[in-house]
Amino acid sequence: MKIAIIGSGIVGLSAAYNLANSAEVIVFERRYPLYGSSGRNSGGITPMLGSKELIELAKKSIRIYDSVQGEVNFNFLLRKDGYLKVAKNDADLDELEKEYHLQKSMGVKVREVDPYEIKNMVQGFNPKSVEGGFFGEGGVIFPWPVIWGYEKGCKERGVEIKPMTQVSEVVVEGGEVKGLKANGEFYKADFVVNAAGAWSNEISKLAGVELNNTIIKEEICVLESLKPFIDPYILNVSNGVYLSQSARGEVVGGILGKEVSNPETSSSLDFLIKYAKRAVEMIPSLKGLSVLRQWAGVYDSGKDGLPVIGETNVKGFIQANGLGKYGMTIGPAAGELVAEVILKGKTYDKFSPERF
Amino acid sequence: MVKDRKIVCRCEDLTEEEIIHAIEEGYDDIESLKRYTGATTGFCQGKGCLMHILRILAQKTGKSVDEIGITTQRPPVNPVPLYILMEGEEE
Repeated sequence: MKIAIIGSGIVGLSAAYNLANSAEVIVFERRYPLYGSSGRNSGGITPMLGSKELIELAKKSIRIYDSVQGEVNFNFLLRKDGYLKVAKNDADLDELEKEYHLQKSMGVKVREVDPYEIKNMVQGFNPKSVEGGFFGEGGVIFPWPVIWGYEKGCKERGVEIKPMTQVSEVVVEGGEVKGLKANGEFYKADFVVNAAGAWSNEISKLAGVELNNTIIKEEICVLESLKPFIDPYILNVSNGVYLSQSARGEVVGGILGKEVSNPETSSSLDFLIKYAKRAVEMIPSLKGLSVLRQWAGVYDSGKDGLPVIGETNVKGFIQANGLGKYGMTIGPAAGELVAEVILKGKTYDKFSPERF
Repeated sequence: MVKDRKIVCRCEDLTEEEIIHAIEEGYDDIESLKRYTGATTGFCQGKGCLMHILRILAQKTGKSVDEIGITTQRPPVNPVPLYILMEGEEE
């Protein structure tokens, strides 16, 4: 069996890793691994999410990270110092409380924290900047070694990864996938997996399948390195600002993204101004730190906020995209689902491409 | 003995030997080499090290400097503190 995977982000590589022992797998990457959102995100991971399906995948993914980094012998720098969601108003805090009950019922370790507990938890935190929050399982992973590790593991298992190789055509005959054309060459395949992230809509069109995922652009910046003083990953759900400290001491943060019509990754001064105001409101002592570098990333989300994973009405054309801002959080488990779809013909109603 | 320790990136404390090791590991294009070693991502943002990295990469791979290209240059040009950015007007 031959499988062609388009995209070498967390989903494509995790799928390849799980398929490698059962099939001949080639991964096609238009640029280089890390070019897309798997290389541009801030590495926050947690099962403190808002739906049963996402929580399950997130819990499973943390276990997979724990075992895969040993299997591929690559340190993912996964630091489980917790995840803190804070809210600036009662309405947002009520939303977090609803999620909290769902998370508790599914065995996620999480508890409510008042502004003064947060101040004790995060040095320099301004308790007056928030109404309250929830603290629970999770932390920060470094996305780059995750991708390198999966890449290494895939290659050791015989997967071929082709960077700078653009897919120009998905070959479909009689409603069935026959292969694809990339850099002018034809590759025969029984399955073609669309794991192209923000570019998944375009790839889907090549197979004649409508996808219509939402495309979201998000900006991030890095502040200079300091001795570690922020343990948890912090997300303010009211104004979208998030930040954490990397293993190298840099404060990495951004603001949750907005829908755009096309994937593009230009940076803006407006983002830096907004980020400076919101981050300093939350932790005033950050104000003396300098921005060293900023960038943007694009990702795609299923219309209902859930991933799109499953076979389409074109036999052998598999969607594996739409993970939204949860790519690093649920990617490893999502890759396992892709393998189940291909090897066992499984369908997942909540993720099915046919659900829209 | 430190005679073989040629520092090429002062922010991230990288030696020429470490850059060569990364290239030999397969991180042999400029964007991958940057990410794998951390070169050009420190306080200088590449102003002190990028030319060294380019030279080593050209010597090791036999490619010309033009073929290799440079890393995506990201703003700001020099570090800017948050208290200055805060004074800006939001769109």
